[in-house]
Amino acid sequence: MRKRFQLRQMNQDAIPTTSLADMMFLLLIFFIMTTTLAKTTGFVTDIPAGATGKQDTQEKTPTVALHDDKITVNDTETMDVAQLRQYVARLRLDQRQGDAKVVIVAASGHVSYQTYYETLALIQNAGGVVAIETEEDRK
Amino acid sequence: MIRRPKHELPVIPTANLVDIAILLIIFYMACSNFLSASSARVKPPRATDLTKQKEPLVVVTIDKEGAVQLQGRDVGGPADIENAIGELIRDKTTDEGRTVMFKCDAGVSREVFQPVLDAIVQAGGLILAVGENIEK
Repeated sequence: MRKRFQLRQMNQDAIPTTSLADMMFLLLIFFIMTTTLAKTTGFVTDIPAGATGKQDTQEKTPTVALHDDKITVNDTETMDVAQLRQYVARLRLDQRQGDAKVVIVAASGHVSYQTYYETLALIQNAGGVVAIETEEDRK
Repeated sequence: MIRRPKHELPVIPTANLVDIAILLIIFYMACSNFLSASSARVKPPRATDLTKQKEPLVVVTIDKEGAVQLQGRDVGGPADIENAIGELIRDKTTDEGRTVMFKCDAGVSREVFQPVLDAIVQAGGLILAVGENIEK
């Protein structure tokens, strides 16, 4: 009689795990719905730090000036993004070495990040190194 | 008297189902990135030929209102960003460790994003500029 009582007692002490599966599936559904297995796309750029110096070399470093979302190359030609892509491709930056890879990007006035980003991505993908010229550098 | 054999319905074993569910939950918990910068509303810029990148640990975000966040927390001026990033990447020797993810809204003006970019560069960070890939 006492043994039967002990057995019943043991059965009552057990943690009920029947609803565990339901909870687990609720959590699972939550994670499946909220998880974004994000794929980050972009480009990595190592922008040289420091002030601009005077150029000693014969060949002038290409300069892309962005002003009010207009693109001007070497202070002369105004281009759109497609024309800039062709210009950068003609420079064959991927075949150059060292400082010859550098393209200066100078922005002034109102320039949106979209224009800036497209310019940077374009130069970077062509194998160039972007150097940012700030307004303080120009002064 | 003919005894009919008992036909029991086949039982699908569900005892291990919980274990499988727990494993899946652990997987999703590990893979989920509740990004520290997730609260910021950012419409990324678009460009061609962007490649998939590994996410670095340091994240700088500029939302469409121009609010700058480092690791999901508001920061003050460029000097603060430079100091904070300098601290975060001080012991990092590899390029991967020095990389700072820069997420900026496409409509943000130069006056807002350029000082932040300068601050990252001055702190010695490599910039992973995040954007959305578009087909040519």
